[in-house]
Amino acid sequence: MTLTRPPWALRIVGIAIAILFAFPGVYLVFRNFSSGAEPLELLTSSRTLEPLWRTIKLAVLVSLSAAVLGVALAWLTVRTNLIGRRFWRVLAPVPLVFPTFIGAAAFIRTLNPGGLAAGLLDQLGVGGFELRGLFGAWLVLTLFTYPYVFLPVAARLQRLPGSLEDSARVLGDSASQAFRRIVFPQIRGALGAGTLLVFLYTISDFGAVQLMRYDTLTRAIETNYLARPAIAFALSLILLVLAIVVVGGERSLSRGSDSLEQTRSSKPIVHALGRWQLPSLAFVVFAAVMSVGAPMVAIVDWASAGLLRTRNGGRRLTIDSEKVVEAARNTLESSALAAVVAVLAVLPIAFLVGRYRDRVGGASHAVIIATFALPGILIALALRFWTLRSGFAADFLSDSKALLIFAYVVRFGSLAMGITLVAVQTVPRRFHDAASTLGAGRVRRLFTIDAPMMAPGLMAAVGLVLLSTMKELPISLIIAPLGYPTLTTRIFGSFEDAFVAEAGIMAVVLVAMSAVLSWFLVLRRA
Amino acid sequence: MLSQTLHTRRLIRRLGSLTVLALFVASCATAEVPTIEGVAADIYPGTCAEVGDRELTVYSGRTENLIEPVLDAFACETGIEVAVRFADSTDLALLLAEEGDSTPADVYLSSSPGPVGFLEARNLLGEIDESALELVAAENRSASGSWVGFSGRKRVAVYNIDAIAEADLPTSVFDLTNETWRGRVALPATNGSFLDWFTVFRDQFGTDVATQWLNDMVANDAKYYPNNRSIVEAAGRGEIDIGLVNHYYNYQEAEAIGDDHRALNHDLGDDDIGSLLIITAATITSASENTGEANELVEYLLSEPVQRYLTDETLEYPLAAGVAPADPLPPLTALEIGSVDFDALGGGFEETTEIVDASGIANQ
Repeated sequence: MTLTRPPWALRIVGIAIAILFAFPGVYLVFRNFSSGAEPLELLTSSRTLEPLWRTIKLAVLVSLSAAVLGVALAWLTVRTNLIGRRFWRVLAPVPLVFPTFIGAAAFIRTLNPGGLAAGLLDQLGVGGFELRGLFGAWLVLTLFTYPYVFLPVAARLQRLPGSLEDSARVLGDSASQAFRRIVFPQIRGALGAGTLLVFLYTISDFGAVQLMRYDTLTRAIETNYLARPAIAFALSLILLVLAIVVVGGERSLSRGSDSLEQTRSSKPIVHALGRWQLPSLAFVVFAAVMSVGAPMVAIVDWASAGLLRTRNGGRRLTIDSEKVVEAARNTLESSALAAVVAVLAVLPIAFLVGRYRDRVGGASHAVIIATFALPGILIALALRFWTLRSGFAADFLSDSKALLIFAYVVRFGSLAMGITLVAVQTVPRRFHDAASTLGAGRVRRLFTIDAPMMAPGLMAAVGLVLLSTMKELPISLIIAPLGYPTLTTRIFGSFEDAFVAEAGIMAVVLVAMSAVLSWFLVLRRA
Repeated sequence: MLSQTLHTRRLIRRLGSLTVLALFVASCATAEVPTIEGVAADIYPGTCAEVGDRELTVYSGRTENLIEPVLDAFACETGIEVAVRFADSTDLALLLAEEGDSTPADVYLSSSPGPVGFLEARNLLGEIDESALELVAAENRSASGSWVGFSGRKRVAVYNIDAIAEADLPTSVFDLTNETWRGRVALPATNGSFLDWFTVFRDQFGTDVATQWLNDMVANDAKYYPNNRSIVEAAGRGEIDIGLVNHYYNYQEAEAIGDDHRALNHDLGDDDIGSLLIITAATITSASENTGEANELVEYLLSEPVQRYLTDETLEYPLAAGVAPADPLPPLTALEIGSVDFDALGGGFEETTEIVDASGIANQ
């Protein structure tokens, strides 16, 4: 079938959505002019180039390791008979929910010299190392970001027909040959989209790199906001340009992988691990212990010390159950709404790009993805800037939940974008051809063909945005309506002033909530 | 087709139920309680005044764990409705600058003077009434009336008790550039309170001396940490031997962790720059239309019950109402208060950041 032109309404919707997503970028360019920033001049200074180089080095390393870890976990938990694979599949996305400022601190508290597991590590002969610098930042960010790869790849693997792989094996391919020749080309799109998110997240992260004392561009941005705003804005613009370059590069690389093959009733085959069962299990357990276990040791320790303290008549906790419930409720409400709206917002663009290869769609896609590299505080300030200049909308939007949800969607729409696009591309064109020959209209086809085939991808997209929104900090602090605390804002407030017991208790609630939601979204599908 | 339609239905139902769940929890608003409980009742034990139509919006860079009880007590006692946004002091200052005249905020509380200087330089601060300003000593308030200090945090050296014997402790920050301390000292070099401290350091000793000290520290392999809390925590584990921080984090950390926390505060010499008192400040925005209520809150922060609460509960130094510092706090000495012109901080901030950046400490 030849490509048809996209319906004009779809194009207009796509452009409108892209304009909304471009608010922070346009704000940033405006602020560069208004503050007299000179980004080009900064680019010639070694004090910019060195942190920039460290940023890129870290982002490349984290992308590689997160991609390997994410694909390995996805393949093991979806396509093999790994013991407890359903359990591991629910657990694997949970690291997304750790706010990096407390997650990285928890790693340090558990693993570093004198930490909670230091004695154990010494006995194992691996003690005495200190998580810091490039290694520390790499490790922590890999463990926190691999779900960006895991979720889309696992969703893709679930919809992948086993027949081709079977044929390859019958024709004499080894398991690894079959993976390389059959499975890998099919997951390449999801893998590329996920890895891109890891890269962009890493260059925008501040919480983990600052605690690991690895001096990247975001540190320089953060310390210059007040003292030298022009420099902070210029450095942020450099970050955004870097993101656009990387997004463009990924697009041209992944162009060849658009033609995905899929049969309708696809029962994925399950490989028997055999003698690889135990090594595989050991690998998955190790990954879970490192990514969820290690930070949880410190968080539970903080929480339990606080609860014990009140029981023993020590200092009172500054939170009560009512406050925790209120914060948990706000967190759930805002992140669930943001997740659903984000997926709906990126769908038109996914159709434009995936089905019609539309230029406008391609540009909108790039805008949405690149925005992920902007620090959250800039997105928050940008939206405040725009709402104050939007006349009557300012009164309507300021201090409203709608604005908060909108800000979350702008921040995390990118997470839904990649997976949704891959989901659109997995719907074979010939189904549409057949259906329209049989007289099914566009809307009917959307519900009978697109939606069911895209379901796993869309649910993964919802999950990614949901878990990420739950831990979002700067927007929650700056844009939320007055008196609308979320778990993360409460954790931040407590933790910064060393109320670690309160922070620990609420972090436990946050992780428990995310595990339930992960179960709801990831597992109950089948 | 049948199974696909089922799939679609299931997807829609799933998304639908998620939305319904969100809307349901949103609708379960909790009822207002007419009395206050807990810590807030310690500040104001009486019955609450009737809620009128007076209201006040606060941006607080001080954490809600500390300030929420104070605001609850204030609202109860005065009947003024208080809306509050808690966030990082720096982020709130940026927000206020972005909002300008349209800001809903009447009062801004900052955990350090730097962001106050930033706002003052942009003419975003209004004048506080004389009656409120007079409640603190002249050195703890702005000459122009744009800010008033309401509590103090002292700079100290936090040290690991297993790594350093009491007799070997330094008596001045200038000792720390000696070979003895090579690779053992932590500096929160990009943290707001450190930058404020360094600006005062420059003001007192001249920029050359201060810059030389910082460069010597870097040459002496001082370690960079992003903030006070991470240094106190690292000292408690023995990851570093000693660090320059605000006094009160160590009390919080020891309270939370217990005996496993192996760190104590050490007061550097009485007249050493390392013992500076850094104030937390209250300001009223120039855009405020509720200046009466705003001044009431500022005076409330300086009242006896709140000053006592701040030192008893959070172990900060009280600045007003004749309240003495709580028990474990070493008394303040003469030089610590006074002689420091915090109004100079706003302007000096930019150069301080430049010097700290150039020293390369952040990559240590």
